[in-house]
Amino acid sequence: MVFLNLPLLVRSRGPDEFWRKRRIFKLAAHYRSRTRNVYSFAIRSVHRALAYATKGRKLKKLDMAQLWSTRVEAGCQQYGVGLETFKEGLARSDILLNKKVLSDLAIWEPRSFEALVKISRERAAVEGMPDIKRRSAFNQVYGLSNLKLD
Amino acid sequence: MSIAKRVQQWATFARTWHIYDCTWQNPFESAKLVKTHLLGLQKPIYHPMNDCGDHVVLINTREIALPGDEWVKRVYFHHTGYPGGASWTLAWQLHEKDPTMVMKKAVYNSMRGNLQRRHTMQRLHLFADDQVPEEILQNVTNQIRTPRSIPQRLDHIDKETLENFPNIMDYPKDYILR
Repeated sequence: MVFLNLPLLVRSRGPDEFWRKRRIFKLAAHYRSRTRNVYSFAIRSVHRALAYATKGRKLKKLDMAQLWSTRVEAGCQQYGVGLETFKEGLARSDILLNKKVLSDLAIWEPRSFEALVKISRERAAVEGMPDIKRRSAFNQVYGLSNLKLD
Repeated sequence: MSIAKRVQQWATFARTWHIYDCTWQNPFESAKLVKTHLLGLQKPIYHPMNDCGDHVVLINTREIALPGDEWVKRVYFHHTGYPGGASWTLAWQLHEKDPTMVMKKAVYNSMRGNLQRRHTMQRLHLFADDQVPEEILQNVTNQIRTPRSIPQRLDHIDKETLENFPNIMDYPKDYILR
């Protein structure tokens, strides 16, 4: 038995073809030459661009985290404290600030950031962390000097 | 933060000029330190698209110290682009031709190979000795601390210090050092 009318079904995809292609053409409107006018070229470029956008959403989070780390580390280096020591000192002082907030403080609120570095440095010195060897009388943080070590 | 404070905060990180003494320093460890200042990584306002890098003046690049036997083992490759235009130069030969090239290549290779690299290298100023032009010295406001301390050479100690240095004992006049 031979179905002769089956290939003819491909010729009538229905009345929505125009709108389906228009959706792709709108995404490809800012491309150049045939990638904006010819559907077979436009669909390839749109697929690739959407794949890049999907990957870029993940990469942007990694890039921002790395940028915040760089900025916080640069802020700490001004006071001679390493980034890991700074984060550990803040965590042990129950200061729960993430790197995004810390980087904003380092840029826009330098005095507040300086206070955080001092607290972290004193905590690191009191608890004997390897980076900080001795306490700094100049950067005394009141309250921590009376800390009783268990 | 008010507008005036923001301007002041931003002006704190304006472009500055640093000077760095390369005497007896490892060029590859120094390059990481110099790169930090050229790119502006030591500033909290750093962003890859910001143009916030500082100028760095390197002096005494003739006196750098390569680790181990790298003076005779390290090879610098260069190609002109034409067929047969390749050349391999040993480090000591390159240092004889141009005393600043080893340090320059060390800083160049320490950066990521993107389009910013050559613009960043334009903020690097290299001098083989300590003769720096006056218009550059006028800009310098900071000295980068070198990671390696320089011991004093025995033949550079002045005679007075050598003679007045305390001895454990005095040799007799007719003593013969064997």
